[in-house]
Amino acid sequence: MDKLREEKLFKSLMLASLAIVVGSLFLVIAVVVWNGAPSLSLSMITQTPKGGYYLGKEGGILNAIVGSLYLAFGSMLLAIMISLPVALSLQKDYIGKTKAAYYIRLSLDVLWGTPSIVYGAFGFIVMLYLGMRASLLGGIIVLTLLQLPIMIRAMEEVVKLVPEELKEASYTLGATKLETTLGVVVKQALPGIVTAALLAFGRGIGDAASILFTAGYTDSLPRSLFDPVASLPLAVFFQLGTPFPEVQQRAYASALILLIIVLALSITSRYLSKRFMKNIIR
Amino acid sequence: MENLSLKNHISIQDLNAFYSGHHALRDITVEIPQKQITAIIGPSGCGKSTFLKCFNRLIDLTDGARASGKIIVGGIDVLDGSIDITDVRRRMGLLPQKPNPLPMSIYDNVTYGPRIHGIKDKKRLDGIVEKYLKIAGLWDEVKDRLKSPASKLSIGQQQRLCLARGLAVEPEIILCDEPTSALDPLSAQHIEQQLLKLKNDYTIVIVTHNIHQAMRLADYVVHLYLGELVEYGPASEVFKNPKEERTRAYINGTFLADLKTDAEINLKGNVCPYNFMYAKQALHDLSNGKLLKVVVDYPTAVTEVPRGMEADGHKVLSVKQINKTDWEIVIQK
Ligand SMILES: Nc1ncnc2c1ncn2[C@@H]1O[C@H](COP(=O)(O)OP(=O)(O)OP(=O)(O)O)[C@@H](O)[C@H]1O
Ligand SMILES: [Mg+2]
Repeated sequence: MDKLREEKLFKSLMLASLAIVVGSLFLVIAVVVWNGAPSLSLSMITQTPKGGYYLGKEGGILNAIVGSLYLAFGSMLLAIMISLPVALSLQKDYIGKTKAAYYIRLSLDVLWGTPSIVYGAFGFIVMLYLGMRASLLGGIIVLTLLQLPIMIRAMEEVVKLVPEELKEASYTLGATKLETTLGVVVKQALPGIVTAALLAFGRGIGDAASILFTAGYTDSLPRSLFDPVASLPLAVFFQLGTPFPEVQQRAYASALILLIIVLALSITSRYLSKRFMKNIIR
Repeated sequence: MENLSLKNHISIQDLNAFYSGHHALRDITVEIPQKQITAIIGPSGCGKSTFLKCFNRLIDLTDGARASGKIIVGGIDVLDGSIDITDVRRRMGLLPQKPNPLPMSIYDNVTYGPRIHGIKDKKRLDGIVEKYLKIAGLWDEVKDRLKSPASKLSIGQQQRLCLARGLAVEPEIILCDEPTSALDPLSAQHIEQQLLKLKNDYTIVIVTHNIHQAMRLADYVVHLYLGELVEYGPASEVFKNPKEERTRAYINGTFLADLKTDAEINLKGNVCPYNFMYAKQALHDLSNGKLLKVVVDYPTAVTEVPRGMEADGHKVLSVKQINKTDWEIVIQK
């Protein structure tokens, strides 16, 4: 009887936690959709802000959408190019067992926990020193730094999961470490690598604090890497900060767009992962 | 008579192997003849897999493991740190215990080795795939789905794919570590048949637990026991007329059969000097000829207790692993 009670208690605890997770996700989406959907219009996603936009007049936030996509994809690509080699070299076949690797992991974990405003402040100082102004390039670089710890650690974990026998199979065929890493390890870990990249993308596209000073904000579309650039999180922030209800509603619409972009990317990467998964050895 | 014309292919001299302190192979000196099947037999944990891993230096990949001595293949010492190990490895195919297809299509599995070694021509690769899948006896079953993932094949098919993949880099030697133990009887028979055919062109070294398999396949037999070479010779002689008592016992199955013991002590949790003392004590209390069963879980004890007891003039009848951590040693006073 007692066992049965325990079982029941545990089951209700699990259900409660599940309800909290699903409930809060649902609530967030509901609030954003409820407040944002009414002001979501075609002009919102096809036009840049016209004069008086922040007083509730004509225009859209195309500048922020384009800016965020540039920033997020640019920084994700840059971060992948740096993270993948680092994650692969943290395998035990390379430097994984050394003292250096231990300190690299430690610093990455510290960086992971560092608030993004610190990255922003750091980037700002460096840019001041270099005489660079807030720009797309500055934003991409700071966002890359922000993504590196997550991406490297997540990629390292999936690379570590590649079974030893697979590497052994490659080595016994006369492959070198590099050939084994590129030909077998990356292939086997690819779905996980995609997930790791996506995790970092999520952090990159949603972050406001780090790009506040480094990417700046502008009502026009960026024409080069050295122009300042708008972004969705900051668009939400600025519009929520105005005293006009219509503009505040547009903040929710901007948040909704952000949500849709993240969702779309999630689904695409799921689909891609599935295709890569075909050959995976389980 | 024909034995006189046999050439040796692999010459092993004073081979020793260690796993971070554990002495897994001791002073092994033996010759492996060319284009013959040599079977390595011996009880579990005696170092058979370690022996094979020294040949292609896969042992390098284990932390804290090292091998010393010489393994000479075609004039080159494999254990010499300055040689190009990838070249040595491609000259020795390995068929593992559990098939390990690579995360790619059947076609790409077979061509993985050749592509690494610089063959790019599509026609040539197609030819390689067909040739080696046929040799491995898999062609007819997969010729219509070469592009499908290797992981979708049955275990037996996967093992034949691994054979084809290994052969595609054109090795001279095939190493097999219990290649049929994970397979169903039919697939196992299939692999055995392929190996018998392949021995015309390749030197084959096969580790096996299965005495019957060794009898069916082997031309030569190497018997290892607790990391030492017990006996070595042509299969017909070793199986019919072993020189060593321990080989006879192993072949007759006494090593593995359930022995009726007269006393039993459990030394789990003890480390080495104490293991000896307690075992000696227990043997002391028995009369001559009686059997004592000792259960240990300390890795070093698995080799050292039997060795110590033999040094004291007792006879070790069997050493076998009874679960993940525990070993059972039967000693006759
Ligand atoms: N990676 C390792 N680290 C430490 N000890 C090891 C390692 N691999 C093997 N050993 C030890 O070395 C000895 C020989 O192991 P090996 O795998 O060569 O035995 P085996 O004869 O192949 O056994 P089996 O028939 O069960 O496969 C055993 O005592 C084993 O516990
Ligand atoms: Mg083994």
